[in-house]
Amino acid sequence: MSTHRRSASAAVVGIGEVPSGRFSDRSEIEAAVIAAREAILDAGLSPRDIDVVMPTGALASRHFNVDLVFSRLCEELGMLRSAKMNVQVMAGGGSSSSMLAVAEALVSTGAARTVLCLHSDKVGSLPRQAGIDLFATTGVSEEWEAPYGHNMNAVGALVSQRYMYETGTTEEELAAVCVSLRKWAALNPHAMFRQPLTVEEVLASKMIADPLRAKHCNVLADGASAYIVASAQDAQKMTKTPVFVRGHSSLVTHYTLSQDTDLAKLGFPEAAHAAYAEAGLRPQDIQLAQIYDSYPVFALIAMDALGVCGGERAGAFVAAGHTSPGGRMPMTTNGGMLSQGHTGAGGGIAVLVEAFRQLMGKAGERQVANAVNAVETASGGTWMDSHVTILSKEPG
Amino acid sequence: MSFAHALPVPTPWSAPYWEASRKKRFVLQCCNACDRLIMYPKRFCPFCLSEDLGWRDSAGTGEIYSITVQRAGAPTGFSEHLPYVLIIVRLDEGVQLMSRLIGPDAETARCGDRVKVDFQDVAGADVTLPVFRLDGAKTPANGSRST
Ligand SMILES: [Zn+2]
Repeated sequence: MSTHRRSASAAVVGIGEVPSGRFSDRSEIEAAVIAAREAILDAGLSPRDIDVVMPTGALASRHFNVDLVFSRLCEELGMLRSAKMNVQVMAGGGSSSSMLAVAEALVSTGAARTVLCLHSDKVGSLPRQAGIDLFATTGVSEEWEAPYGHNMNAVGALVSQRYMYETGTTEEELAAVCVSLRKWAALNPHAMFRQPLTVEEVLASKMIADPLRAKHCNVLADGASAYIVASAQDAQKMTKTPVFVRGHSSLVTHYTLSQDTDLAKLGFPEAAHAAYAEAGLRPQDIQLAQIYDSYPVFALIAMDALGVCGGERAGAFVAAGHTSPGGRMPMTTNGGMLSQGHTGAGGGIAVLVEAFRQLMGKAGERQVANAVNAVETASGGTWMDSHVTILSKEPG
Repeated sequence: MSFAHALPVPTPWSAPYWEASRKKRFVLQCCNACDRLIMYPKRFCPFCLSEDLGWRDSAGTGEIYSITVQRAGAPTGFSEHLPYVLIIVRLDEGVQLMSRLIGPDAETARCGDRVKVDFQDVAGADVTLPVFRLDGAKTPANGSRST
């Protein structure tokens, strides 16, 4: 995590994912082993080549999360007496980037040869009110916020209001983010919502928490995804399509939302600056933006900070269609949490896996041509932290 | 109105805040070593790690840093209060907190509007929550946008 330019020390060599949505008959462990198996096979490895298993946290079932912590995956996947360590890395929605940073450190020092990062959860199968209540207690202070009726949609709404107040961004522009993501999701067989969506439909949907309407808000989904990290040197021997980790930086800006002193920017300007410096790349070198959304405003805050909107305000840039299929800065090409579905800590992992998928050239109908460098963002809790990761087909 | 759900459970170091609130006083924790205000109350000063902490009366005035009107999708126990107005207040002393905006025009208030503390007892519980009301003239409709 130095801010000095360096060549990549780690790369991703395999990915796996199951479709997101409500799958009452698909258990957490089944989804987990499907995603893990796909990633291991994608990397051309066998289970006993995996040194470290790194599951992130599951939120819907405490029992399943305990299984993840206590090495169930190693047993299910045939890694007993070969895996060195099973360790959970959990940072909520920021787990995608946090796991990658930890795995990068392990493989670059030689502490591990291969790290399997994985998520599986079933938050989409929770009853509606249980889903609201779960996300009214994740990153929300019991003493200082819950007594007022705070909840995750209110987080999105409060950040949106401040961002709109400071930047002049409109409700239509927030809706345009949802529309752009939906166009990508239409091309993604793993997405929960694929039918066309218009700005008018978003603005006609029920008001939930001003200015957010129902279709501005993510929908909870069951899902699982996985990726495997190796050293840059090993990766080039394992696969023809390694994706190199060129730079990463992050900043924690709050626990309780009210303690953030810059809700219109969060920590993204600082994280972007340091991540670009580490990668030795500039915003104009980026061809693809895989941005943690969950609510439209967060995509806009990140896009502003990343400098990938050609000098335009992010809301205007998205509304002009530049982030949609065929646009000049494809954004969140799996459809993001607003269309692929919000799987808990895995919503961001799906976005990160999509970045790998695109740079590996495995994105099928939605493949972005000629993308060499991509930027990925993530955040956990109530946007407690701002992560920026720069990925590339080239080791640097 | 009552907020009979999700009652705050004070810690030993936050108890004076809730005790003051019950007496309709709004107080802020402060550090006697480095003289800074601390929000939310903490065991040690987050600026200098001193444990020599005290309390100061606050004017309870400030401005709305952000605001939303919750109209649907409330957590369990809060549906009967819909719609309710959640705000982040930036106090004149510089610290921020989450609260609710109550009273006339609460649902049409905007970022930057001035607010003043008030108190609401929670029915059936020995708890009083600091809440806020709009204070004085509203910010002109188009005069509050900054860049
Ligand atoms: Zn101090």
